[in-house]
Amino acid sequence: MRALLPVLLAVLPFGMVYGAVAVQKGLTTAEALGFSGAIFAGASQLAALELMGIGAPIWSILLTVFALNFRHVLYSASISRHLGGFSPVQKALAFFLLVDPLFGSAEVRAAQRRLTPTFYFTYGVTLYCSWLLATLAGASFGRLIEDPDAFGLDFVLPVYFLGLVMSFRRRASFYPVAGTSLVVSVIAYWLAGPPWHVSLGGLAGIAVAAVIGPPKRQAGRETRRGVAS
Amino acid sequence: MNGEPLLSEGAWSVGSIWFIILAAGALTYVTRFGGHILIQLLGTIPPRASAALDAVPAAVMTAIVAPVLVSGDWAERVAIVVCTVLSFRLPLIVVVVIGTVMVAAARALLT
Repeated sequence: MRALLPVLLAVLPFGMVYGAVAVQKGLTTAEALGFSGAIFAGASQLAALELMGIGAPIWSILLTVFALNFRHVLYSASISRHLGGFSPVQKALAFFLLVDPLFGSAEVRAAQRRLTPTFYFTYGVTLYCSWLLATLAGASFGRLIEDPDAFGLDFVLPVYFLGLVMSFRRRASFYPVAGTSLVVSVIAYWLAGPPWHVSLGGLAGIAVAAVIGPPKRQAGRETRRGVAS
Repeated sequence: MNGEPLLSEGAWSVGSIWFIILAAGALTYVTRFGGHILIQLLGTIPPRASAALDAVPAAVMTAIVAPVLVSGDWAERVAIVVCTVLSFRLPLIVVVVIGTVMVAAARALLT
């Protein structure tokens, strides 16, 4: 599936970096794989390693992982509208696999046609297996990794997200939403640092969409407009 | 091997590491399931909430990308702007390849 290729280019080096760091911090290969298999979210896995390295208390590690991954609540609220054709077991598995690139691709897919379990699980399971394999590779050959930055691989993920964002440009109130998210994200990045720019920037854009309200084509709902604003 | 291994500090037993793995995994799963539960509890989605949800992917992904403009090197900043313009015309994978090659080429030439 050609939609997966740029994502794998981004995910594989990241997973290998995680695996290498995990082993250097003193985790066994099995523990490094355990994190990747249970959490399946690179940024929070690296944050957990960092906190374990400085001997932080367990509750603070868990709280950090939870906060870093809280954006998934937004993803699952949004994606659950498109899972009509999924059985309960398929839904339970689908939410387990719900990572950033899968969320983006599934939303794009659902905007074009029906989101099928085949598409979703092909994409999700491939990503999951790649993540485990990359972790294993990183843990095994940690110190042998060449510098992935030289090939611009660290830039694949931003430009991929950018392309996904632009595919939504015909949606109602796209420009005020994206513009607000852009500005708030940059400000939050300056003031609070990562990962807060994602939560705050995202929430700001969503708030703008909520204030603007549904597109005017659904004219029957217009009556409350004067009252609401 | 520059950092001190966790296990040698004695702070992290094998059991506590696996506890963190399982608890953090469970908490992450809660975040991935939580939005779905919220929607189920609310029942039908009000139009305004639906408009907000429609905006989630664009808002969140814009927020993920935006810091490249301030934290990236110059090659990345220029590339992200060029790719924004290109993505009005070209398919996603072409834009990704062009952007990545631009950044890799710039780094190779500038160092």
